[in-house]
Amino acid sequence: MTSPGLHLSGAPFLKKENKGLAEPHGSRALGESAERSSKHNRQVTLSVPHWEQWREEAHAVKRFSILNLDKLLVEFERNAAARGAVVLWAKDAEEANRHILEIVERHRVKTVVKSKSMVTEEMELNHVLAAAGVRALETDLGEYLVQLAGQRPVHIVTPALHLSAEDVGRLFAEKLQEPYTSEHEKLTDIARRHLREEYLRADMGISGVNFAMADTGSICIVENEGNAGLSISAPPVHVAVMGIEKVIPGIRYLPLFLNLLARSGTGQKLTTYTHIVHGATPGRTFYIIILDNGRSNVLRDPAARSSLFCIRCGACLNACPVYRRTGGWAYGWVYPGPIGAIITPHLVGMEDAGKLPFASSLCGACGEVCPVKIDIPHQLVHLRHKAVNSPSPVRSPFERLIWKAWSWAMAGPLRYRLAMTTVRLGVRLAKFLPWHPAQLGAWTRGRELPEVPAYTFRAWWRQRGREFAEDDDKSGIAPPSLGKEVSA
Amino acid sequence: MTSRSLILQRIRDNLRGATSPEPPPVPVVWPTTNPTSAELRARFVEELRSVHGEPIAAANREEAVVILRELAQASGWNHVLVMDRPLVRDLVSKADLPWETVLLPEDPPARDLAGIPVAVIQADYLLADTGSSVVVCERPGERLACYLPPACIVLAEGSQLREHLPALWSELATKAAEPDRRGEFVIITGPSRTADIEKILILGVHGPKRLVVLVVG
Repeated sequence: MTSPGLHLSGAPFLKKENKGLAEPHGSRALGESAERSSKHNRQVTLSVPHWEQWREEAHAVKRFSILNLDKLLVEFERNAAARGAVVLWAKDAEEANRHILEIVERHRVKTVVKSKSMVTEEMELNHVLAAAGVRALETDLGEYLVQLAGQRPVHIVTPALHLSAEDVGRLFAEKLQEPYTSEHEKLTDIARRHLREEYLRADMGISGVNFAMADTGSICIVENEGNAGLSISAPPVHVAVMGIEKVIPGIRYLPLFLNLLARSGTGQKLTTYTHIVHGATPGRTFYIIILDNGRSNVLRDPAARSSLFCIRCGACLNACPVYRRTGGWAYGWVYPGPIGAIITPHLVGMEDAGKLPFASSLCGACGEVCPVKIDIPHQLVHLRHKAVNSPSPVRSPFERLIWKAWSWAMAGPLRYRLAMTTVRLGVRLAKFLPWHPAQLGAWTRGRELPEVPAYTFRAWWRQRGREFAEDDDKSGIAPPSLGKEVSA
Repeated sequence: MTSRSLILQRIRDNLRGATSPEPPPVPVVWPTTNPTSAELRARFVEELRSVHGEPIAAANREEAVVILRELAQASGWNHVLVMDRPLVRDLVSKADLPWETVLLPEDPPARDLAGIPVAVIQADYLLADTGSSVVVCERPGERLACYLPPACIVLAEGSQLREHLPALWSELATKAAEPDRRGEFVIITGPSRTADIEKILILGVHGPKRLVVLVVG
């Protein structure tokens, strides 16, 4: 089933969906910003003498958490409920949205302020709320900009990385009727002025969750702008939505993750605001929605489990040369970049997202920067293997036929010779064909066929051996015996 | 079958046969180096400045009152949101400023607090290595005081200064484990900031544009 909001058609991976980023400014700004962030954050992480040890430790904590997920979720639920939180479970996005609509009805909610949450992007929550007549406003500046522009985020940490100050100035002039400016300070003041009013009149705040601590039932949210703090404390109702993989065994592990996330995400020692929320404060209502939405399926495949370790820092996006060129929309769903290429196929299915693991040069940069040491390159290869062996957009009968033929030809010297003879003949004849065959046209139109040499390497080698033998007869020196070693 | 049961069953089925390791030891993260109080103060000042906060030291409460008065007069604040904590109450009352004071923990609606230009709150701890203030909030109004006004003055005693987050953590984890614990621990490291437009750093996008930390004693 194709998920709502999924844009995975087109080639090579969503070329058609990527029109905005084809503009020179958009792609250049995004690529340069991502590269700059990557260099800066890398310097910050490398300045920590025991960075590698932290990564190992975080990997071990996440591994333990995922392998004990059922027990930790039950413990988290019990402790959160004991502190006055109402804990709800949702097997998929549809059920999570249903829970939120019920809360909206129960508390007569007309307006909602949201802090940045990737999981609510998965749920397409803004559209669901709008359809129910509820005004939902993103409050993170980047998310606010892309919402105003009617776009989707291009990055999980900096959603409006592709927009220039001029773009934002035009956007505010058009949507908020503000005088045009491209000064960063003034643009930020405009956003502050408009959003402040929204916090004050909102009936409900919605947030994501960075970490959920099983032993205390607390949740942790990190941010820099203060919008999450206002969204979760100004309105009378707070709904926190978390994926099942967000739970960690105890609050004792939190300092490690806070140090890793801030450095990998934004190159800071700590984010400006760290909120550790314990249940409901007096006079306020606090809901926690625990969402599966395909995550439990990932557990079935031991080689894929570590993709659930992700703490959404965005470091792999900034480091990825493919992401820097294409931007986030090219990945077609909520999670872009290398982490998106390994998470999305699990969450939405290989049939829809089987192309994504191929959106990588396998350079390994993503694996090197991952703060929880997810082996992203090997996961990509693992998923490529799955994609070509299960129903997916990359499972082409034609391509399989070609590889079968190649496999047959390489299995013996006689077959190889026969195949090479056929290829040489084919290349000679192809020159006279005036057309570019359907799928192959994409390749042949931009390339010229190579000249076929007068004789093959093997023929040349045999001839060389004979010449040596003749020389040897004359000089008495033995010919080289390399021919035997290279003949297959 | 409820969704809760279904999700838990799926997890158990898909993890069948997987061997769980022992719980990992609690990471040290940063070792404790037992710095002197002067070193801690110097590190705190340097780090807070690096994140665009304003550290101010007062030798005692009398000096802190003078500093608070000067700050209020220089900034033209005529209205203040005050957290109901001993140090804050003491200093604000002694400062005897001609400003209208809203004392928390009343839980007024956010709209009623919107026009107040400054909050004076009390930190429970300070972290030297990151220039952070840790505020234990129990009521919604206390939480709002950290984010809503455009300026925030954090008061703290010098004895509340810790080396870094891991050095503080056992105290904070003990508080978090109290069965009646409600509310929020807020760790504030500098004024509100964003770099969402072209990666240019701008202060005060939603929360306070100005963060002053006044360390007393």
